[in-house]
Amino acid sequence: MAQIIIQGLLLSGLYALIAMGFTLIFSVGRVLNLAYGSYLMIGGYVYFYLTQLLGVPKIVGILMATVAGCVVGLLIYRLLVKQLKGDHVAIEISTLILAVVLQAGIVLLFGDSSKILLPIVPGVIHVGGATVTFSILAATIISWVILIGIYIFIRKTHTGRAMQAVSMDAKGAAISGIDSDRINMITWGISGTLGAVAGVFFASYTQLSPSMWVAPLIIAIAVVIVGGIGSIIGTLVVAHIIGFMEILTTAILAPEMRGVFTMLLIIGVLVIRPRGLFGREEL
Amino acid sequence: MDLRWHHFALWAAFIGGMLALPQFVSSGTLRTIIFANYLAIFAISWDILSGRTGYISFGHPFLIGIGAYTTAILTKRFDIAVEYAIPSAVLMTMVGGLILFLPALRIKGSYFALVTLAFMELIYQLVQVIRPDLTGGTRGMSGIPTLTLGARDGFYLSFSLMAAIALSMWLLMRTRLGTALSAIGMNEESVRGSGLSTTRLKLFAFLTGAFVAGLGGAFYVHYLGSIAPRALFDINFLFTILVAALIGGLSTVIGPMLGAFFLTFLLEYLRPYLPGAERYFIYGGIALLLYMYEPKGILHLFSRGLDRWRERVSS
Repeated sequence: MAQIIIQGLLLSGLYALIAMGFTLIFSVGRVLNLAYGSYLMIGGYVYFYLTQLLGVPKIVGILMATVAGCVVGLLIYRLLVKQLKGDHVAIEISTLILAVVLQAGIVLLFGDSSKILLPIVPGVIHVGGATVTFSILAATIISWVILIGIYIFIRKTHTGRAMQAVSMDAKGAAISGIDSDRINMITWGISGTLGAVAGVFFASYTQLSPSMWVAPLIIAIAVVIVGGIGSIIGTLVVAHIIGFMEILTTAILAPEMRGVFTMLLIIGVLVIRPRGLFGREEL
Repeated sequence: MDLRWHHFALWAAFIGGMLALPQFVSSGTLRTIIFANYLAIFAISWDILSGRTGYISFGHPFLIGIGAYTTAILTKRFDIAVEYAIPSAVLMTMVGGLILFLPALRIKGSYFALVTLAFMELIYQLVQVIRPDLTGGTRGMSGIPTLTLGARDGFYLSFSLMAAIALSMWLLMRTRLGTALSAIGMNEESVRGSGLSTTRLKLFAFLTGAFVAGLGGAFYVHYLGSIAPRALFDINFLFTILVAALIGGLSTVIGPMLGAFFLTFLLEYLRPYLPGAERYFIYGGIALLLYMYEPKGILHLFSRGLDRWRERVSS
């Protein structure tokens, strides 16, 4: 029991971090960025390349991974999303194609086989019968720090409030003198950064492989769809629901059934209550 | 119906030319064309469901997979003759189309695409866990009875199937029904406003799309002789279908066919230089650029070029 709670909390923290960047873009621009999983992949591979192939210190590796994620996020916004001018379906299709292209790019650079990432923080601790690696513990703590930071940023700072305004009503925000293009740029940059950080930790939790972007993308989609537009608290709550359900199905049913609940949740919520459980009245 | 004799002349020339092809080309090329034929079937069926009505489905492998798995299980595990297995597979796929149709009643646009994506991932996971004695679990099944022996027969079968589907869909889309379906993609409200039942039209599009997908999936699995969940319910497979339809040109029948042949042959010519999954890089790059700057596809490029040429000739 204690083991399930501990593992659930750890996994959920990671999922919340994964979903955060996706939520931001979706809330501010109403854009479903299906290339979001690629940020995680790029973050993971940049970290792997720098620390394990070049031997750069780990903290520098993480920093460079975030820079890469940020740059990719900005590029995708500039070159792709902005060109399509709010055609949501076209953005969805082209980001999906882009995700496959990026996956192929990774195969081109690093090969098809999956790679094991050395633990970011080596060491293990035993709590109540559960084995907790320091890596995943660090991931959870960092993810909580980032989540609280983002929450404060959005609530308290001027830019964060402008993001909220654009998310509620882009036209109204423009009338009040907010440059929504700039806000979108900032959001895409932050989203890429968050994705890359999440990618480093996600890769150390599972492993690096060119197809690693699919699973976190589905989790992020589920969290955002169920949590609803513009709700950080919703993101947090739903990340915990999904995290715990995965741990429970792994423990009680079978490890292969892990994702089934997540898919059913996406389908069920979209069909029955498309605005999500915590989202604003919309759609 | 806007039918001209030269349309039929072109179709006849195309079909005749293709049927004569085995006399001239090697069996390796024929095998490539077989894959192009099946991809064309899948792309046409995707286009009926998504390209016309604008309900973008990311779960098309879901439908194809139902067709493929049904006939594979029936023939392999229950020794049912192919003549009965394929029709039941098509029926099952239409039931799958009905399942896909239910969310389309309430949601559309990007949300609908997500639901269908979730359907595909759901069935991918379920197939491996539920009754692995029937589905073969993660490893899938092999030794499924094949219908044809050799590249030549396979080519005739796949091409006749593709040509029959393409021609009947082309005729169907020239009727008022086809026009109404395309109109849903442009503006659903105004179709409803002009007194048509969009629900029934959408249902028709989904069932027809599923019918074609099931037919294609069933014959495809009887050509391959094996089936595996990761090869079927995969984003890369979805990507290939989607890209074939997109590059060719949406809302046409010729477009997806053209796209499928273009893609398959591109892949074949790239094979010596890029043997692995890298070719998706080129694929996707071309598709992305084309989609961004010429969303109507190659077919549109051709017809615009043709118009320009005609202008120049007449002036």
